[in-house]
Amino acid sequence: MGPPDVAIAVRGLTKSYGSFAALRGIDLEVRRGEVLALLGPNGAGKTTAVEILEGYRARDGGEVSVLGFDPADRDRELRARVGIVLQECAVDPYLTVAEALAQRAYLYSAPRPVDEVVALVGLGEKAGSRVKVLSGGQQRRLDLGLALIGNPELIFLDEPTTGFDPSARREAWDVVRDLCAEGRTVVLTTHYMDEAQALADTVVVLAAGRIVAAGPPDTLGGRDHGVSTVRFVLPAGVAPADVPLPEGVVPEVRAGTVEFTVADPTRALHELTRWALGRGEVLAGLSVVRPSLEDVYLDLTGGQDT
Amino acid sequence: MNGVRVRDVEAHDIRVALHQVGYEQKAYWRNPMAAVFTFAFPIVFLVVVGSSAGSSRVPGYTLRYEQYVVVAMLTFGLIAACYTNLAMAVCTRRETGVLKRMRGTPIAIGSYMGGLIGSVLIVVAILTVIVVAIGMAFYHLHFPFHPGAVLVTLLVGIVTFCALGLAVTVIVPNADAAPAIVNGLYFPVVFISGVFYPLAQGSVLARIADWFPIFHMIRALVSAFEGGPGSGLQAGDLAVMLAWAAGALIVTARRFRWEPRRPKA
Repeated sequence: MGPPDVAIAVRGLTKSYGSFAALRGIDLEVRRGEVLALLGPNGAGKTTAVEILEGYRARDGGEVSVLGFDPADRDRELRARVGIVLQECAVDPYLTVAEALAQRAYLYSAPRPVDEVVALVGLGEKAGSRVKVLSGGQQRRLDLGLALIGNPELIFLDEPTTGFDPSARREAWDVVRDLCAEGRTVVLTTHYMDEAQALADTVVVLAAGRIVAAGPPDTLGGRDHGVSTVRFVLPAGVAPADVPLPEGVVPEVRAGTVEFTVADPTRALHELTRWALGRGEVLAGLSVVRPSLEDVYLDLTGGQDT
Repeated sequence: MNGVRVRDVEAHDIRVALHQVGYEQKAYWRNPMAAVFTFAFPIVFLVVVGSSAGSSRVPGYTLRYEQYVVVAMLTFGLIAACYTNLAMAVCTRRETGVLKRMRGTPIAIGSYMGGLIGSVLIVVAILTVIVVAIGMAFYHLHFPFHPGAVLVTLLVGIVTFCALGLAVTVIVPNADAAPAIVNGLYFPVVFISGVFYPLAQGSVLARIADWFPIFHMIRALVSAFEGGPGSGLQAGDLAVMLAWAAGALIVTARRFRWEPRRPKA
């Protein structure tokens, strides 16, 4: 199923737990070498979808192809070509980092060298330490290392940077970018908008078991041509009604700051700044903001919690 | 997806299983709790009780009390290594996601289980040597008259109690409940099966114990150590144990869970 440049093809995927419909018909395509991010609030179906692709859960309906295999068959060749980072999955606490990686490497026909993977995930100083003494962030790095040791073509990352400090996150992002540069395909779930923005070629937003938006992060949900928000501090002695605004725009004034949304900020700004310069005023705190991915996301998912 | 499906075994799978045994052994000896329970308890019990057990004969057997205690403690240690340790290890690994992670790799289920059980075999072998050596050095236990029968009985015991260890994980809902359920099921049977004192033949306890594999394990082992006629093998006792093993394997094959129970979504 699917042409050879397609890593994952999903059509009409459904899954229910009892009377709860976790996935209500998902269509998805991931090209080889692409990074796809699945975003969505808790309960949206992200983990269910990913675990069906990984072969952990059985689907109720629809077609799924992962590297040309049906993951429900749990084919060994497929598992040999896929690396999985799960949420909250332990390693035997009494083995060392290097031992855990070597144990896993033995299962693959062409694994990456243990030393190389240890260095790749930044655990060089901890190679001889037992897993149980690692910090949470270090264990997540080991998770990533275990997923990469088999030299996989396709990598699933379920919230790979949860619990990382900012610099560790940046390093993990670099690792993902390197994987992508090597031609590997990455599917990740995340709660972090900036992570999706930084890494993903395609963002898919799930809400209540359906895909509510899909596309490159810059254009998601009409972000590239959506309304912009203009803000500035109202100059002293000026009434809000005196400010020239595009027709039909009603400004909000809060604590001396004027805020309005406008579809075409170019013209509105031109009028506004000409007026200000003509009066010799400075528009303190002037800003024009396009909706962030987070705004779009909150809009799409109805403002539910992430 | 519950249950266990075993596919064709290839040479690679056997190499992987042996490789796994090495790591299982490393992890086992670095975790003091499991090792202490398996080794310390039978040995301490042997020293404390064996020394006061006396040398009168156990009714129905030719072994003396002090010799019987050695065989009983060998059984006790074997059950700790096979049933208790295996069940605890599987419950902990299931709860912490080790099993789930393993399922995401190309390892064959047989190789993984083979690694776990191969490690148990090594532990039982070491335990057997230590316990029998103590028995021979201090409690007048002679080298078994039927060493082959001892070996076969130990192997049947390992199969039976490993199978029961895997099967019991089916009814353990989570790791917190594991010690209570795993031990709660087995301690009463240990007490009525003549592990700590020989059963009076024909007593109510003996008739209840007759239904369970532990009593049969002890009787078969005692018989293999005793110098009776024939092979020393107790076909009837071994059959009861293997029946339990078969039942346990069926339950395991059908209902084994690789992941913790999820809260209903």
